[in-house]
Amino acid sequence: MSDNVFVISAAMIPFGKHRTSSYVGLAVSPLIDAIRDAGIEKSDIDAVYVGHSYGGMMTGQRICKEIGLGTIPTVNVDNACSSGATAIHEAWQAISQGLIDIAVVIGVEKLTQFGGGTLPLSPEDREVKQGIIMPAVYAMRATRYLHETDATPEDLALVSVKARKHGALNPFAQFRQETTVEEVLNARRVADPLTLPMCCPTGDGAAVVVLASERARKRLDSKPGIRVAASVLHSGHVAEGFRDMIKPEISYDSARDAYAMAGIGPKDLDMIELHDAFSIAELIYYEAFGLAEPGHGVDLIRDGKTTFGGDVVVNPSGGLLSKGHPVGASGVAQVAEAFWQLTDQAGARQIDKARWAMTHVTGGGTAGLDHGACTIHIFEAA
Amino acid sequence: MTATTEAPASQPIADMEADSLIGTFAEGQRLVGSQCNACGCTMIGSRVVCSSCISRDVSRVALPSTGVLYSFTRIHVGTAGIRPLGYVDLDNGVRTLADIREGDVPLRPDMRVELGIDDDDWFFAPAAGEKREA
Repeated sequence: MSDNVFVISAAMIPFGKHRTSSYVGLAVSPLIDAIRDAGIEKSDIDAVYVGHSYGGMMTGQRICKEIGLGTIPTVNVDNACSSGATAIHEAWQAISQGLIDIAVVIGVEKLTQFGGGTLPLSPEDREVKQGIIMPAVYAMRATRYLHETDATPEDLALVSVKARKHGALNPFAQFRQETTVEEVLNARRVADPLTLPMCCPTGDGAAVVVLASERARKRLDSKPGIRVAASVLHSGHVAEGFRDMIKPEISYDSARDAYAMAGIGPKDLDMIELHDAFSIAELIYYEAFGLAEPGHGVDLIRDGKTTFGGDVVVNPSGGLLSKGHPVGASGVAQVAEAFWQLTDQAGARQIDKARWAMTHVTGGGTAGLDHGACTIHIFEAA
Repeated sequence: MTATTEAPASQPIADMEADSLIGTFAEGQRLVGSQCNACGCTMIGSRVVCSSCISRDVSRVALPSTGVLYSFTRIHVGTAGIRPLGYVDLDNGVRTLADIREGDVPLRPDMRVELGIDDDDWFFAPAAGEKREA
């Protein structure tokens, strides 16, 4: 039996283009805020886990030394878009096994360092050498989805419209303007059939959560927290031949395991923060998470089932499409959103009586894999 | 002293030497593949290790020059102008990323495509016999 683990605080900076901030500059403020909000001292922290992909050597230590946090283990974690959520998974493992009581998890990324353009991928990868970029991978998923289902480019645009509607309510989002299907379809083309508003913006960001064991939480007499009901990490498995690009096994399998661990099903969820790096992804993940049968995810966006007032609010934060996607920060920011929603601190975007939340990030452009890593967490208000 | 054994040294794989996916075979210029002599698994590119059974007994083989276009996109960003790119499922089941050349026949998933070579460039294009209408 593993011990219960709780998220007891969360903090983040608004995502955006923070060109004058370093990795340290991005992360220190939310780090201090999360520690203060948890009601803990530096000396209470047993370990720090830091998710980032492009921060370079010792990113975590560079951040922590600024607040005189040292001695304890600091673990730097790279799993592309799943880096931050993988860091949470590692912290959860250590606490649930009773090895430590309190862990701080930082997700941080500075994409403006690259001066724009698509996400840099490993130059050693075969398909990267051939010229693959992440928008092209998702565009090919979209082409295939439109081919196999009755979905249209208008449906892809509807996902962006919903994301912007939610993002308009979120002070942490990079894009806070609503948009229309026409605007999305007439925007600059990135990789057919995807236009610019169907792609998440790059940017800079940092988010921090504090995780605690049940006994530490009781000792701290802490404010409302949320229980980690499931924490699942999967890696991609190579296919030398056919791969169904609209049924990503890594997300299907991770969701199956997460539901089993939490003892709930898709109908129990009040909200999901999912990896909408590109609008097509959201439709595919509706199906992967069992919200709709394969090929019918598109019905949910058409019928408004995944916005406020629907069956389950998907990406109440505005998702990566509105919030932006500073790779290593995104998974932690999703958990911050779940924390605020389940503890009734989400302001204008608060979901009424939210009890169950799922967060999902999956990432990495690697030849032969669907995605390199996928992390799913399920949380319960506690 | 008692006799001791010495642990063998693992050796690095020189996987940066054979970068090109195109090679010359008895059949002519073809995509380079690798076939495992132990389990039969066929893979794209020059490989040293079979990703299925981890045998190192892998032979260089010519891959089929025809297949089916699984999906495609036209990339509009970057310096290359509009660049069509797709995944092709070759007739022996191996999938490869490939530049796609568009002609009179509009691209669509599941259409037959065949390998073309222009000097140093290789690409797939709709196969002869693919019709203008889907």
